[in-house]
Amino acid sequence: MNGPAIAFEGVGLILGRTTVLEDLSLRIAAGSIHAVVGPNGGGKSSLVKSLLGQMPHRGTIRLDWRSDKPGVVAYVPQSLDFDSGLPMTVEDVLAILCQQRPAFLGPSRALVKQFDAALDRVGMADKRKRRFGALSGGERQRVLLAQALIPAPDLLILDEPMTALDEAGAQIFEELLLDLKDRGVTVLWVEHDLAQVRRLADRACGLNRHLLFDGPPAEVLAPERLLDLFATAPRRSLLKAAS
Amino acid sequence: MSFETLRALLQGWAGAGYLPGSLTYGFLVNALLAGLVIGPVLGGLGTLVVTKRLAFFSEAVGHAALTGVAIGILVGEPYTGPYGSLFAYCLLFALLVNFMRNRTGLTSDTLIGVFLSVSLALGASLLLILATRVNIHILENVLFGSVLTVDDRDLTILLVVALGVTALTLPLFNRLLLASFNPALATVRGVPVKAMDYLFILLVAVVTVASVKIIGAILVGALLVIPAAAARVVSTSLRGFFFLSIAFATLSAIAGILLPVELTLPVPSGGAIILASGLLFLGATLSRLALRRTNA
Repeated sequence: MNGPAIAFEGVGLILGRTTVLEDLSLRIAAGSIHAVVGPNGGGKSSLVKSLLGQMPHRGTIRLDWRSDKPGVVAYVPQSLDFDSGLPMTVEDVLAILCQQRPAFLGPSRALVKQFDAALDRVGMADKRKRRFGALSGGERQRVLLAQALIPAPDLLILDEPMTALDEAGAQIFEELLLDLKDRGVTVLWVEHDLAQVRRLADRACGLNRHLLFDGPPAEVLAPERLLDLFATAPRRSLLKAAS
Repeated sequence: MSFETLRALLQGWAGAGYLPGSLTYGFLVNALLAGLVIGPVLGGLGTLVVTKRLAFFSEAVGHAALTGVAIGILVGEPYTGPYGSLFAYCLLFALLVNFMRNRTGLTSDTLIGVFLSVSLALGASLLLILATRVNIHILENVLFGSVLTVDDRDLTILLVVALGVTALTLPLFNRLLLASFNPALATVRGVPVKAMDYLFILLVAVVTVASVKIIGAILVGALLVIPAAAARVVSTSLRGFFFLSIAFATLSAIAGILLPVELTLPVPSGGAIILASGLLFLGATLSRLALRRTNA
């Protein structure tokens, strides 16, 4: 199974009286790493939540799988909302996320090897018994990356996964991303680190309520485009207001 | 094995000196059986209540039982066990709180505060009306729990509720937790988040109502919270948290039922159970502090 193509067609989202996304049409190629960049409040996370069915949006979002049976979708959120004092180890978190058997009984035998492999992949194998709440932000982010590998994903949705990562974590993330690409996994990657996007993504799109650009990162992440992207009001809106 | 046979067996052992002498009384055996059934369920469910930060909600559902009792007696149910009104009112209360939480934009504690106050006001008003019809002191048993009033019908209801709640909670334990950690991630993992939210509050409401006879409407929420809080203080893993909470809740139930009779203390069972769990919480907190000082 390889990753699906994703089609956003005329997607709009209004929360209260605020327009978060407006008439967004975008196609993400199967098996590509597609980055979404833009200012805070530009609608990046809302786009992800719409894709995950968490927000009632207008328009159509479609996953075009290569076979009749849908593959595995994985998601790496920015964080988990939990009491950091909870007596919950890294292994417990993976058990809660990945297995049916109650997590307080420990990992199921069938998944122990997968837990080991995923934690090893993100450099957290020696911290499986550590309390999750006692980990640093970067270490927690690595655990969230590890959970996305169980089971092996066909579509991976990443919501700013590098925010808390240190240099070693960023290196691990980069290797992971390239490995997933080799395996034909489609990756939708919301990111604010433009240097990383330029190096790792196949395509990048700029989002500030509207889709401002979409293309190869080397072309679209030019200084003029970025000025447009991170301006307080998108230039298109300013031009429309002036005319 | 029927309750009668089990009761006779335990009374026999008590008579032979293998169990505390107070268990030669049938009513106390009933109360002990109720405690042994409901203690582990409340302890286990309590870990989810604490993790999902629903302690105030579970307290509120317990307090809502007061109004449920008043309505039950008003509509002609027996004052020793107005289960129809209790279940109906508490389930309605829990469902309404959750329904409004998703729609008003208010934080949970504010919304629960509103519902709790209104519900208590309604209950207090109805109880005043009832004061002219029944001896209001009889209601103390329902409010604070009593070992004297647990009968075979109560035990049957407790057993059915305990088995039902366990059968639903254990296979859905991870899903119930994940729904509160990150709804988007839960959805990707195939968890129906809203359904899990509603299911959990219904489980809390049902367990609360079933426990009213032994612990009392006012205090039942506390046995969902205190043992789990004590276990959380001393545990280092989810396994320890879950099983210690069950152990603390069961121990509190047994101690709260037997000690007042053995020591001839004029304390209602509900009060004694919660005081016992409070002592366990104090012990857990002190042991944590001592451990920290040793490690420092």
